[in-house]
This record gives sequence, structure tokens and C-alpha cells, in this order.
Amino acid sequence: MTENSETENLQGKNDNSNGIDADYIIDFTTSSAISRVNIKFLAIYIPILWLSGLAICVYLYEYFIRLNFIKLERWISTILFLPIALLCMYFIFIFAVLFFSKLFLILINLIHRPREGIFKAQIGDPDFEFWALRIEVKKLVVWLMRNCPFPWMDFIAFKWFGVAIDSSSHLQDSWTDMEFIKFGHRVMIGQAAVVMTSMVVGNYLIIKKIIFNDYALVGGVSAIAPGTVFGADTVLGAASITMPNQVLEPRWVYAGIPARKFRPNTVERRDIIAKVDVDEGTKFDSEHEINIDKDKQDLLKTKKSNKGE
Amino acid sequence: MKVGPFTSLVLVKKRDLIYHVFLIWISIIPVALEYWVYWQLLWDYERPLHFYIFLPLLGFVMYLTAVFTALMFAKILLIIVNFIHKPKEGVFLRDPSDIDYRYWGLRNVIKQWPFWLTHRFPFPFLDNLAFKLFGVKTKFSNSLFEGWIDTEFMEFGRNVVIGQGSIIQSTAIVGNLLIIRKTTFDDNVRIGAHCLVMPGSHIGNNCILNSWSATVVGQELEDGWIYLGGPAQKFKKNIFFEDDIEDKIKLRVDNLEELSQTYDSQYDKWTRKKI
Repeated sequence: MTENSETENLQGKNDNSNGIDADYIIDFTTSSAISRVNIKFLAIYIPILWLSGLAICVYLYEYFIRLNFIKLERWISTILFLPIALLCMYFIFIFAVLFFSKLFLILINLIHRPREGIFKAQIGDPDFEFWALRIEVKKLVVWLMRNCPFPWMDFIAFKWFGVAIDSSSHLQDSWTDMEFIKFGHRVMIGQAAVVMTSMVVGNYLIIKKIIFNDYALVGGVSAIAPGTVFGADTVLGAASITMPNQVLEPRWVYAGIPARKFRPNTVERRDIIAKVDVDEGTKFDSEHEINIDKDKQDLLKTKKSNKGE
Repeated sequence: MKVGPFTSLVLVKKRDLIYHVFLIWISIIPVALEYWVYWQLLWDYERPLHFYIFLPLLGFVMYLTAVFTALMFAKILLIIVNFIHKPKEGVFLRDPSDIDYRYWGLRNVIKQWPFWLTHRFPFPFLDNLAFKLFGVKTKFSNSLFEGWIDTEFMEFGRNVVIGQGSIIQSTAIVGNLLIIRKTTFDDNVRIGAHCLVMPGSHIGNNCILNSWSATVVGQELEDGWIYLGGPAQKFKKNIFFEDDIEDKIKLRVDNLEELSQTYDSQYDKWTRKKI
């Protein structure tokens, strides 16, 4: 009974302080998982897989014809080069899928141009249906790349699909949407972080661009809502959530649900690290040496002063 | 990222390898047979074009065959196992001497290979098929691909979406107890990223669970509310199912401090009470 009264109070407070419009503010985050699974997507998948498979088959055919495995005396060379041939075929397949899915994506985007905004999340709304289609097409490529043992494969796919990113950024271990997103240099997105440029709330689909400026860092298992802007040198702690359209100021460490300013992100900060004794609940500072060589420390300073200008 | 409803928390036993070997073996046999038939039909040393053109398609069909065979034989095994000991809800002892605990582990072992196989394809329809076949009430249009979801004692309504990295459980191990309770989702439910839904939870119609929320065992979430916090508390009414409110929806949070306080109280409410 007490809980009921509490929730009533909460509701009342919301209504009184901000008017009726408070209900329409999206101050929570859900997920960017595709909203409706549709068997229609197979119509795109099968041609892509078939065409990319044909590229392998050409290679396979050439391999067996050139090395002529029917003749018994040639079996050693056939077997000797088989592993490298398999590796080649694997990469041919990945890049063929990349190529053909891009082709399909260009066609899809010609039919309906992707755009930001708030749309109805219903079958029949072109923005919603094409959003789901785009996600599904891109998923095939990312799935192939993420199952590949080379960690640098991912950003090739991102670049290929038109995301502004370079190889200095790292996002291999996260769920990152592949449209309406912009990366600066050396952006790092932690393990299992969810970067959502789209979000379905009730009957509505929200698509908004996310911008990461240089040296932005996202902690593990965080969730980034659509429209978030990361300033340069901003750090978001682990297990945090940003609100839609939240702007994180440069050179600050943010943490919490929702993300709020924790402390300035300066070089000096790394000297003293506050530790909290869990049992006592007290806080004490402990000095740490920075492991930067003496001759390189001025380098650090000049870099910092350069950035300040 | 490799995620998926792999059945979790299995009781590892060496003798369970028999089930895996049996299922893997039996599901590869039709694949090999299919390839042999294809080879016999289309291989021509003089004109190999036909063979190579349809080879990629055969690869896809072979994968589907493996999936369906694995599902079929796992289902047969499961029927036999469930006939010997009927799965039931309740709280059991987490000890090999407890028959329910043993059979729960066995069921998960049997489901593991087919679920691994269905989850290899990035398109979730095979996943949903496997869920349906193993007796989970769900719809084909539900998006359950991105989370970790238990594969028994679950029920999904229409238009359910599970966010990235969410953990939906109908079984949980607490201390030396095994809790099995049915988790139900009604229609139009949307679970955010990294949520934790514990056994026995009932999520009502039109509910939204904020990212990073959790429910406790047996929690009831009422219809039409947005919940957040750990354990989940009511945050506000879900009015986003109304028509024509595109212009009214505001993405800007005006007062972040006030919102932070609201969030903090939601997350701390229960823990503060206890202390």
C-alpha cells in the first residue's frame, strides 16, 4: 500500500512541476534491436549469399583446375596449398558479401533515403520498414566480420557503409549501429557497450545522430541513447546511460544513470587516485607514479598545451 | 559480437558428451547425403558450370538441413527425457542428488547444439523457430535475437523486443537452490539494453523496461507503465502508444539534476529501506 501511494506521489510530482508535457519527454533509454522480424528479409539475404558464394566458386574451380587434383601425382601440392586457399576463399567471401550488400543498400537508399526524425513504428510506414531492412542487410556483414579472428576487419565495414571512422578507433566488442554516427580520432568504445542511433518507444521510432569527438572513451556495458554528443577527451564510465540528445562536455568524466559530471578529465587527475574503503565507507587518496619516462614528460605537456589553444 | 540464447548454467558432466556427439553426428549425416546426391546429379567433368553455379545455394540448404535435423532429433530426445521426468516449476536443491536439478541440466545439454546452430545465422527467424519447437510460446515477429534468453518456461506475446545484452531468465541458481518459475511477457513489451529479468516475472502489456533495470523473482509489472531501477519501479505512464503525438515528443531533457535525483531514488529505494 505504501508503494502505491509513493508511485501516485511520483506521478503527481511529474505533472505538477513540468506541466502535462513532462509525459512526452523521452528521458529513458530502451534498445535499438530490430522491432519486427520479418521473413521477407530472406529475399535480400539469399541473393547476397548466392552471389558471394559464386565468387568463391570461381576461385574453387580455378584452384582445382590449375592444380589438377584428378591426377594422383599432384595431390601433394593440392593439399599443401589447401589451407591458404581456404583462407583466401574466406576473405573473398567476406569482401564479396560486403560488396553485394553495399549494392543492395545503395538500391534501398535510392528507393527511400534514410533520415533522422520521429516516425511511426508500424508496418506500412516507409521509414520504419526501410530502417529495419537496412539494419538486417548490415547485420550480415558485421556478423561475418565479427566472427573473423582479425580485429581490424570491423572498421572496414563501417567505412564501407559510409560511417566517418578511421582505423584508430576501436569498437569491435560493442553493439554499435552503423548509420547516423560520426567518429573522431582514437575513439574507444568498451566491451558490450550499446551505441544506439535509433530507438523504438511505444509506437514511435526515433532516429538521431550520435557524434564522438576525438579521444572520447565509452566504458564497458554502457548504453548511449540517440542524439548523444561526446566532446573531445570525454570519458563515460562503465555501466552508465546517457539520455537522448545529451551533450557531454569536453574534458569531463561522466558516470551514472543518467550520465552526470563526475570530475574533470585532466592529466593531473592521474596522479592521485581516490580509493574507497568499502567496509568503512571512507575515502582516502593514494599517490601513484606515472610511468612516463622523464624525457617524454615534456612531450605530454606540449601536447596538452597545444590542445588547449 | 557473439551473443545469443545459448542455454546457460548447465550442469557439466562428462557423460553428457554422448548427447552432443549423437546430435552433431546425426545432423551431419543428411548434409553429407545431400551433397552426395548433388554431386551425382550435377557433376560433369566436361561442363562443370552447373555444379558451381548452384553450389552456394546448396551450402545454404545444407545449413538449413543441419538445423532442422538437429532440431528434430533434439526434440525427440527431449520428448523421451520429459516422459521419464516431467519438467516442473519450483525451488529445488542444487545438488546432483536432486532429480529435478539433474534433468534440468540434461534438458539444457540436449538443447545446446541446436540452439548454437540456429544462432549462427544472423537472421533471427531460425531462432524463433527453435523457440517455438521447444515449446516456448512466441510469435515469429518477436525480436529475441540480441539477448540471452532461457528456453523453457517462457511465454511471449505479440511484438516483444528484447534489447541488446539483456538476460531473460526462467531459471536461476541462488546459493545452493535452483529456482524455476515461468516468466511471461504480454503484448508490445520492450526490454531495454542490459536488463535482467528474473524467474517468475510477469511483464504486462505496453510495458517499457529502461536500460540497466532488473526485476526480482516473481515481480509483476503492471500494464502500460515505464519501469526503471533495480528492482524495477514505476517511472511514468507509457503514453507513447497514442496516435499522432510525433510533434509533442520531446527528446531534450531540460533539468538533468532533477532527473538524476529521480533516477537515484528509483535505484536506491529498496536498498535504502533495508539499511
